[in-house]
Amino acid sequence: MNALLDFYAKHSQLIDQIGINAILALSLSVSLQAGQLALAQVAFMGIAAYVSTILALNAHWPLAATIVAGVVASTIVAALLAFPVRRLRGVFLAIATIGFGEIVRVFANNLAITGGAEGISGIPNDAGTGVIYASLALVVLALFALSRTRFALAVALVREDEHAARGVGVDVGTVRLLSLALGGAIAGLGGALHAHSSNFITPADFGFATMEQVLVWCVIGGVTSPLGAVLGAALLSILPEVIRVLADYREITNGVILLAVILFVPGGIASLWRRGAVRVRV
Amino acid sequence: MNRTMVPALALLAIAALVAPSGAASKGPAAGKTVHVGVIADVTGGAGVYGTPQKNAYEMANDDVKSGKIDAGGANLTFDVADAATDGAQVVNLMQKYTTDGSTAIVLGPTLSGEAFKAFPLAARANFPVMGTSTTAEGVTALGPTVYRDSLAESQVIPTTVKRTHDKWHYKTAAVIFGDDNAFTKTDGDIFARELKAAGVDVVDTETFHIKDTDFQAALTRIESKHPDVIAIGALFPEATKIIAQAGKLGIKAHLIGGNGLNSPEMYSVAGPAAQGAVVGAAWFSGAKYSSNVDFVKRYTAKYGKGPDQFAAQSYAAAQIVAYLVAHGATNKDEMAAGLKGVRVVQTVLGPIGFDANRDAKSSPVILSIVKDGFAYFH
Amino acid sequence: MIAQQLLNGLFLGAVYALFAVGYTLVFGVLDILNLAHAAIFTAAAFAAFSLAVGTGMPLPLAFLIAAAMAGIIGILLDRVAFAPLRRRNAGTLVPLISSIGVAIIIGATLRGIYGVDERHFTTGAADTAPVLHLGPAAFTIVELTIFLAAVVLMFVLSWTLRASPLGRRIRAVAEDRVAAALLGVNLERTIAATFFIASSLGGAAGVLTGLEYNSVTLDMGGPIELKGLAIIILGGMGSVTGAVIGGFVIGAVETLATAAGLSEWRDAITFGVMFLILVARPTGFFGKRALRQA
Repeated sequence: MNALLDFYAKHSQLIDQIGINAILALSLSVSLQAGQLALAQVAFMGIAAYVSTILALNAHWPLAATIVAGVVASTIVAALLAFPVRRLRGVFLAIATIGFGEIVRVFANNLAITGGAEGISGIPNDAGTGVIYASLALVVLALFALSRTRFALAVALVREDEHAARGVGVDVGTVRLLSLALGGAIAGLGGALHAHSSNFITPADFGFATMEQVLVWCVIGGVTSPLGAVLGAALLSILPEVIRVLADYREITNGVILLAVILFVPGGIASLWRRGAVRVRV
Repeated sequence: MNRTMVPALALLAIAALVAPSGAASKGPAAGKTVHVGVIADVTGGAGVYGTPQKNAYEMANDDVKSGKIDAGGANLTFDVADAATDGAQVVNLMQKYTTDGSTAIVLGPTLSGEAFKAFPLAARANFPVMGTSTTAEGVTALGPTVYRDSLAESQVIPTTVKRTHDKWHYKTAAVIFGDDNAFTKTDGDIFARELKAAGVDVVDTETFHIKDTDFQAALTRIESKHPDVIAIGALFPEATKIIAQAGKLGIKAHLIGGNGLNSPEMYSVAGPAAQGAVVGAAWFSGAKYSSNVDFVKRYTAKYGKGPDQFAAQSYAAAQIVAYLVAHGATNKDEMAAGLKGVRVVQTVLGPIGFDANRDAKSSPVILSIVKDGFAYFH
Repeated sequence: MIAQQLLNGLFLGAVYALFAVGYTLVFGVLDILNLAHAAIFTAAAFAAFSLAVGTGMPLPLAFLIAAAMAGIIGILLDRVAFAPLRRRNAGTLVPLISSIGVAIIIGATLRGIYGVDERHFTTGAADTAPVLHLGPAAFTIVELTIFLAAVVLMFVLSWTLRASPLGRRIRAVAEDRVAAALLGVNLERTIAATFFIASSLGGAAGVLTGLEYNSVTLDMGGPIELKGLAIIILGGMGSVTGAVIGGFVIGAVETLATAAGLSEWRDAITFGVMFLILVARPTGFFGKRALRQA
């Protein structure tokens, strides 16, 4: 027991990061499951982070309320985004959403209320490990529950063959809207938690580089399942610390590992033990 | 006392103040091992700043062993960890150092944003930390054990504006600064503020993004308003291009800038357009403090190019820590207490102390860019 | 001031266009977004630096060799990161990730060789490039040469695609890979040629950018990577002409935004324009491709 407590005392930050990263990866996984390469998760994350932070610091709202507010904000924005991009597919959707993310980042950089490039510091550090992992568990359970519904079936159908889905009466537009909104909500949760455990946020936290990272977690872990997203986030969050001994060779090792995994297991690590794994082509 | 003793004593007192020199003395911590944790962005986006920091600490390690830096006979080591410009890694490293039980103080990280993320951790643990390059406002306010040996722009720019205004008596100015980087944005805000306070009319303000390479659109706009002076809030890569392109566009205004311009390579990269540009700096590579002359010479010999401000401020931090160790600080509490009580340490930055806010107490130096580097601005 | 700003935009746009052309070519032919393109851009700049400054080779020769080297890296990139996945029919997302992996490897290798410092082609004291004038607007011989080089390269590419046998094969593969194979086109060789052309153009853009601003850094590909996306959307995915025009348009948009005092909103304006195009006319101005289905 003592050893566990000691381990926690030494690594609590990393443990918290893994939890939040897993939530972010899940938010992207939700979109990917619907066949949508929607890469605006970091924008939703950022919106929720700023809303939650500003309410906490300026209006002194309690943690739970700020998180809810953040999630509501990001969900609304995600749902709104679904309209202009409803006809976009594949890489077009990807680029549109990346562009949206950049627009959000520029706004965060230029507005006074977000602190501009200097960011906002002194955020109360009140999202502890308990809150983070409880949230993660909530998301996982919710997704699990969802996977039993007809909605999940519709999502899978839209992903595999949109025409066929329409043919059997699935409202593709609504499915895409809901999956985008759900992704936005989960990303928002991750963003609010991130703000309340990082002491400081800045627009650079929510840029394309972060989006790339989340994308890599998802694909390396496995796009087909929530387990893959969590796994990818966890493994790749720990990786920099594990290979720290390699010093100058860390960067290239990163690239090689990425390449090797994706070439040998294109379905991601989670697909290694999924029997009858559904191969997802996005 | 007789007449020869007083001057001799005086000389001894001065020598004691001017140390370190050559042989290491035997302080209360002699023989003890003292670990210092350093967090630096050796790789990643801020690698160009973190690498000189790492170099300086490597040199400091050698210098402690050889006695050039006097640590009172203690086995003092600086352990540099690369945070790869990743905020998460900075935080994890800070947690590692503050909980491993053997680190006495943490130096770094490289970027102010990283400091805002990681210093609260140290503050909660009452752990001493010192920033050597984190010059944003509010860093030292993060906790009573947070110190900084790098002069903030808010401590330098007012002097830059005053001295140039006294000499040139300019009436109009333009400010160009990076809007997506905390350091350059601070520069822009402070320049604007100080210029206005000096009665100068700021006729145009332009912004750019970090990593931009083409500033001609902004400079063209500035030139259309014909300011007497252009204040530049930029990091070195952008600053060189701004200056070179200003020259190409035929801009004749005086140029003044913040710390980011402080590199002796400025003229060789930006060209004749840089001649006469004025830089307010926390450190001058040509300063004649004895440990500085030696530092610059040996750093250049070891790494093939001269040290920059990041290297100098890191080496100075090492000197400060060594001073505290030589006076008996071996663990985090003793180090925190030592920092609280320290008055003045002789470093490559000159004599350095800390003010009531735990910021560096040192004089900025106003320099003029010339063909082979810098000259003092008069 | 207008004249100078127009000239600024023109020079900026030329290099953007050259970079985007490589991006769009690979997408048009293979439906892959090659995120290693920016890394190759950077690698070529460093190669040219080594050749010109390190060995004293004359610049034009260094430029050509660096561009050719970039082309070869492009072929290797395809062999290592994309071809294996093509055989397994892995979709568009997975190759994206493997291109990220290669980009990281290229970046790490460059850092290992060159360190983190900015490199320069000339030292300022020796830079005596005369400043010429077109009316009230100023430009240097270097800028003019770079502009002309970019334009020439784009013309060469356009001609190659339109009139040469290789160009016909590339267009056939872009149009319908299966049909092209059935008609006897050697898929792998055509794809390799596509990558060579696309990457050598991207590399050329890198060398020219390095020369234009006298700066070669590890992260010089960052800003242009995202802008390149906006450009190819504007011009239409897969359309080379579109990429060229898109490059100039974005160069103009950026310059005008700054000229209008909106510099800090520059990126938002660029992506805002891109967003509007995507929503209103997803095929871009010249895109011949229909919307892709997932």
